[in-house]
Amino acid sequence: MRIALPNLLVHPNRKKTAFEVEEELQFHIEMLERTYAQQGMSDARAKAAALQRFGNLERFKKQCVDIRRRNSLFRRVLKISSILIALTGLAIQTLSSDYRVARIGGTLIMIAVSGRLLLYVRGLSPWSFLPRTNRTFLTDTPDVGARLRDS
Amino acid sequence: MAHERTDLMQGTLELLILNTLARESMHGYGIVQRIHEAAEELLKVEDGSLYPALYRMEERGWIKSEWGLSENNRRAKFYRLTSTGKRKLEAERANWSRISKAITKVLQAT
Repeated sequence: MRIALPNLLVHPNRKKTAFEVEEELQFHIEMLERTYAQQGMSDARAKAAALQRFGNLERFKKQCVDIRRRNSLFRRVLKISSILIALTGLAIQTLSSDYRVARIGGTLIMIAVSGRLLLYVRGLSPWSFLPRTNRTFLTDTPDVGARLRDS
Repeated sequence: MAHERTDLMQGTLELLILNTLARESMHGYGIVQRIHEAAEELLKVEDGSLYPALYRMEERGWIKSEWGLSENNRRAKFYRLTSTGKRKLEAERANWSRISKAITKVLQAT
């Protein structure tokens, strides 16, 4: 159960994103290879030249996945929820004459602000609180660079 | 004849991408090829650096992507300019023109 729940929350979107990025970058490298091969290079030289021209594949892949994640639906929902919670808290605190009810409003504002801060701090995404074993999406995906180099 | 290749200035890759997509929707490889052709291979652009820029631009709503079939029937992601992107391109072109004029003036004055 401890592993199943995070899997349910994390894997579908993250894996899909990683695979799509991989597919897109792989297409580019293969097109470069074709071009070099058409210019008369051997397959091995064409592969090496394509990878060299593309640059650091792993770094670019990670950057793309990170950018896509930053704008994921889940994160947007969290951001909007935190705004709604803060506004509710503010309304309760302003309108309530009862001290105890007003404190609930204050607590809601604190929760919303903390949530927003956690979303903004780099590396402290909601995913970072999940077990590490479930955050291997980048290594799950086939490594184009390694595959091309090994073949 | 061997040409000296110049590093791209910070932020100019986005302008080049916007300008390239102004004509038609293209996949990443096509965009880089078009940039290299237009610049006659004078610019030093690592092909892979295009993708984080494309993803950032899509996040900002300047471009939109969709999967389609490439010229060799492979699945590829095509990018096109949005109306926000068109406005951004105009603004960036004007900005670039101002900057290059200003730098030219400074260089001529010294």
